[in-house]
Amino acid sequence: MKAEKIASLVFTAIAAAYLVGTFLIKEPPLRQQMGPETFPRAIGVLMLFLSILYVRQQFQHQPAQDDEERAAIIGAEEKLGAFVDYKTLGIMLVLMLIYGLSFEPLGYPVATLLMFAAGIFVLDHNHLKRDLIIALIASFGIFFLFRFVLRVNLPAGTLDFLFR
Amino acid sequence: MDIWNNVVLGFSVALTPFNLLLALIGVFLGTVIGVLPGIGPMTGIALLIPITFGLPPNSAIILMAGIYYGAMYGGSTTSILVNAPGESSSVVTCIDGFEMAKKGRAGPALAAAAIGSFIAGTFATIMLMVLGPAIAQFALNFGPPEYFALMLTGLTVVTSLAGRSLVKALLATTFGLAFSTIGIDLQSGVSRFTFGNLEMLDGLEFLVVAIGLFALSEVLANLADMRQAVSERLSIKGGLWLTKEDWKRATPAFIRGTLSGFFVGGLAGAGAAVASFVSYGLEKSASKHKDELGHGAIEGVAGPEAANNAAAGGAMIHLLCLGIPGSGTTAIMLGALLMLGLQPGPLLFQQQPDFVWGLIASMYVGNVMLLVLNLPLVGMWVKILDIPLYLLVLFIILFSFLGVYTVNNSVQDLVLMVGFGVFGYILRRLDIPAAPIILAMVLGDLMEQALRQSLIISDGSLGIFFTRPISIILLMLAVISITNPYWKQIGAFFRRAFRPA
Repeated sequence: MKAEKIASLVFTAIAAAYLVGTFLIKEPPLRQQMGPETFPRAIGVLMLFLSILYVRQQFQHQPAQDDEERAAIIGAEEKLGAFVDYKTLGIMLVLMLIYGLSFEPLGYPVATLLMFAAGIFVLDHNHLKRDLIIALIASFGIFFLFRFVLRVNLPAGTLDFLFR
Repeated sequence: MDIWNNVVLGFSVALTPFNLLLALIGVFLGTVIGVLPGIGPMTGIALLIPITFGLPPNSAIILMAGIYYGAMYGGSTTSILVNAPGESSSVVTCIDGFEMAKKGRAGPALAAAAIGSFIAGTFATIMLMVLGPAIAQFALNFGPPEYFALMLTGLTVVTSLAGRSLVKALLATTFGLAFSTIGIDLQSGVSRFTFGNLEMLDGLEFLVVAIGLFALSEVLANLADMRQAVSERLSIKGGLWLTKEDWKRATPAFIRGTLSGFFVGGLAGAGAAVASFVSYGLEKSASKHKDELGHGAIEGVAGPEAANNAAAGGAMIHLLCLGIPGSGTTAIMLGALLMLGLQPGPLLFQQQPDFVWGLIASMYVGNVMLLVLNLPLVGMWVKILDIPLYLLVLFIILFSFLGVYTVNNSVQDLVLMVGFGVFGYILRRLDIPAAPIILAMVLGDLMEQALRQSLIISDGSLGIFFTRPISIILLMLAVISITNPYWKQIGAFFRRAFRPA
């Protein structure tokens, strides 16, 4: 698999960068038997070694065969199917980022309502009425539940004026 | 007797109306999680940690343990009725459970799963009660070198049993360890890998990584392929109860499953999924009806279901007595307990007996609740599967954000969580297991501390790990667990190397 070859190289680069990073850790004023860089450096060396092994497995003429028998015994998770709907995946990822960033300015209830509604619109809008009611409960319902029952204050944002 | 005082103390904690209610809620939510495809116990507990924040530690762990048991049990229902395992430890249950359901014997299959879970859960709890104090007492002799060796062993055992490729699983472990080094180093006060970001000084928030890697990556995997497979769903015909013949066949399987699950999956730390497969193998060789296995034999449900619950209970022993999680799920529970300001470990039995024994008593209560709650409600559990996938996905997103935000009120955490979600999804595409990451991240800090203290004791010499008997035995176990798949090759190598010329 081509993507996996690239991934193995990326991991190697990350491991190398991490290892280099351990050399940039500042010297503490008081030296002990084991400084703050020792443990990370050991991890870095191990990570680099393993990622190189991974690269080797990927670039061998016959990549290491998966041991399906072993996988069955230990109950390994099923592999994901090859199909990827990049469009939906991308839209929803952007939506999640916007949701996260609007958490404070818009406030929890409004941001959640908008995220939920947009999500319904992107994924399946055949039951709009039912789903929008669910969205209302999920946003405002949870907000009030947290505020008045669990006593956790979620950001009210645009609705701040209600709680002054 | 001492144990009785403790049990009385435990029940006085567990039977308060509030804690009873929490156990009930936990078992209920856990079962929902177990039934829902894709959300395993790990994702479920990670998502539900925030609701424990307002609770006293005692009540929080009672709730989490309930979720854990419920999720272990809930998976069996969908295995039997829909042929879709809710989590990896109920994969085997599908084989005979679904065949039984096809023959119109879904009722007895569900009953066997419930009774098996009950017997195994109760056995594991009794063992925790009997063995726990002794193990904790023994562990009090552990110094930092023993702890370091123990954590290393725990990490390698879990890693060696995760995923198809050992290299990938080990790589995942090093990622987790690396994550644990981010933030200020408490011993020296030096900041590491924070890139000048103030929020990072506290280190990566555990829940950000856990929810990102498990819940959001699951969301992304679903979004990437929303075409739902239409599954055949079987209804329950006939009675729910076991016939005399069923009892005769299932009882030995319950016992075999419970024992093998507890010792292999629990004490040895192999985990619930391995336990269920081992138990199925055991039934194949020990059952009187081995030819029927695979075609709807009750032993094939009774054994593995008992085994995975016994393993779940056994894993609690590691968590409570040693403070070392033996699986991804218990790693998440440890993370949650640390967030609550509790350090599980041998001292817990002495310092907070009400916490430990309250939990143990609530495990009995939880097991009874599972049995009483689940069989009559089985029709309702199956209906949960009618929730459309896209709504489920949106709800998981909602709870992920809610959970992570309530920890630190930090938007940066939310963005990081999405990042870890993408990372987790990429790992899943590459078939790299995520459980070792979270385990290593939780253990990383503790390991570094133990290593430091050991080196202070020995004045910088690594020899300290090889001169102490417990430590060297544990380290040998670690080496064995990691080299285990390669023994054949290693043997061949030595035969070639030492062949007389």
